[in-house]
Amino acid sequence: MLWQTLSFDWGVAQVLLWAVAGLMSFYFSFGSGRVWTSIAVGFFLVLLSEVIPQAAPFFPRLDIPQVEAMGYIVSTLAILVMTHGFQEYYVFSRTFEMNGRRRYVYLGVLAVILASVVFILINPVPDRETLKIIRIVGYSNWVFLSLINVDMIRKIHVQVAGSPISRGFIGFLLVFFFFFLWKGSALYLEVYHLDLLAEQYTVRYMVSMWVGNIGNILASLSVGGTFLVLARALR
Amino acid sequence: MILLPRGNPVKEKLNPAKVNLPDALGKLHTGHFTGYLRFETRQGTGILIFHQGKMISALFSADGVHLTGYEAIGRIFSHSVAGNTSLDIYRLSTELAMGIHALLHGDVLYRGQALKLMDIRVLLGSLKEDAITGCLRIYTDDRVALIFYREGKPLGFFHDGSKDLETTADTSMSVAKLPGAKVDVLTTNVADESSLQDLMDAGQLTAIWQLVQAEAARHQKKSESGRAVPGTSSERRKSLLIYLQGVAEQHIGNIGIYLVEKEFDDLVLGSETSLQAFFANLTKAAKLVAGPKKVDVMLGEMRKGIQATLNGR
Repeated sequence: MLWQTLSFDWGVAQVLLWAVAGLMSFYFSFGSGRVWTSIAVGFFLVLLSEVIPQAAPFFPRLDIPQVEAMGYIVSTLAILVMTHGFQEYYVFSRTFEMNGRRRYVYLGVLAVILASVVFILINPVPDRETLKIIRIVGYSNWVFLSLINVDMIRKIHVQVAGSPISRGFIGFLLVFFFFFLWKGSALYLEVYHLDLLAEQYTVRYMVSMWVGNIGNILASLSVGGTFLVLARALR
Repeated sequence: MILLPRGNPVKEKLNPAKVNLPDALGKLHTGHFTGYLRFETRQGTGILIFHQGKMISALFSADGVHLTGYEAIGRIFSHSVAGNTSLDIYRLSTELAMGIHALLHGDVLYRGQALKLMDIRVLLGSLKEDAITGCLRIYTDDRVALIFYREGKPLGFFHDGSKDLETTADTSMSVAKLPGAKVDVLTTNVADESSLQDLMDAGQLTAIWQLVQAEAARHQKKSESGRAVPGTSSERRKSLLIYLQGVAEQHIGNIGIYLVEKEFDDLVLGSETSLQAFFANLTKAAKLVAGPKKVDVMLGEMRKGIQATLNGR
């Protein structure tokens, strides 16, 4: 089959690249201004959401639907936290006011993750349909919030033009464009059940898969690159 | 300080700065006013005496300064225009006006003699014996009474509130009984009324007035240029803001302009605490868009600029 011959296991490469990008962003969150914390933590959560589903099969006790569901939830949480971070930065760039504390961001994210774990555990074991719905909810968030972030980052870039970190925001523009491709493709596949209809819609399925995987790779590369630029500019 | 009883008040506590004095004096002239105008200033006291519309006497007296005639009028105008002058107008009888005129231009025989240390009866006997024409001025800090003599004979008494010479000595003597009362003895040469000069030369007064006005205008201009010091300081502050914004833009881009502007509003030049707060807040915000090295270099340049501004360079 064409779609099977063209398929390629991107998983390992993606996890490795996200490991680099995620650790870089998490490291960046320490020692930088408070406003960067949400953004950096959000990108770190992308690493977790990528690692969890990829790593689960290698740990028999973790290869359960609840862990898979948590992977999707953490992924959704990642885009929400990132968006919150960029929103804060946008407010800062317009009002030059910055409030809050770094540890509240860490504790807040941790609290939401723990609450999600409790939610998953106190409810019935998620079946394939439930997992699919959780995925779709996550992808939907990613797609629409990526577009919103592209616009918000463009506005931030206008405000910080000429500053040492302005190139970093161009990097973030690319990052969210790649996120849009990656998560948009995944959403498209899920909504139209193209994974089940791959033989019938081979081209669409293949294009979506390639766009998604390349988007994923480019997103991780651009995230790593962007935080490298930011680290050099701000350290 | 010219000590004169207050007479019959026409107007008191006027502000002559709001009056065109040549015009006002012209009205007293045409109204055949008799009495005197007292200009009380911080620098001294001015007296203009009118006798049936004629300005028969002008006097300005201050510490070490005793001006008469147009010189006195010029000084009175000058202080009036400058402000902080109080004008009192008192009506008098023609005889009293003449008496005061003579008093102001007479000679002092004794000044500031404490009444409690002297025998007033002996003094009055001496005036009679010597056939003195003049005046006894009995006064305390806030009250004055005059006793006029002609060739040793008392003419009458004049005290606060009198319009004319009075024949009773009650009020005048009551001043003498006050604690700390003193007495001056003045001799006068009473001139013939027809021989009195009239300083009411409208042209001369107007000329003096215009000179004074011009001088006041020059003084005003000078004061304004003096007040321009804060203006200059404001300009300097504005220049400093532009400089700081320029430095910030150079190091951290456009956002630096706004960050400086925001923090600059609270900056008090010369206050070390304010300056530290300015740099602390700016550092915190700048580190969100630039690294510490860049921020330090920027703050270093800013410090130099602020120091130069404080030094007035």
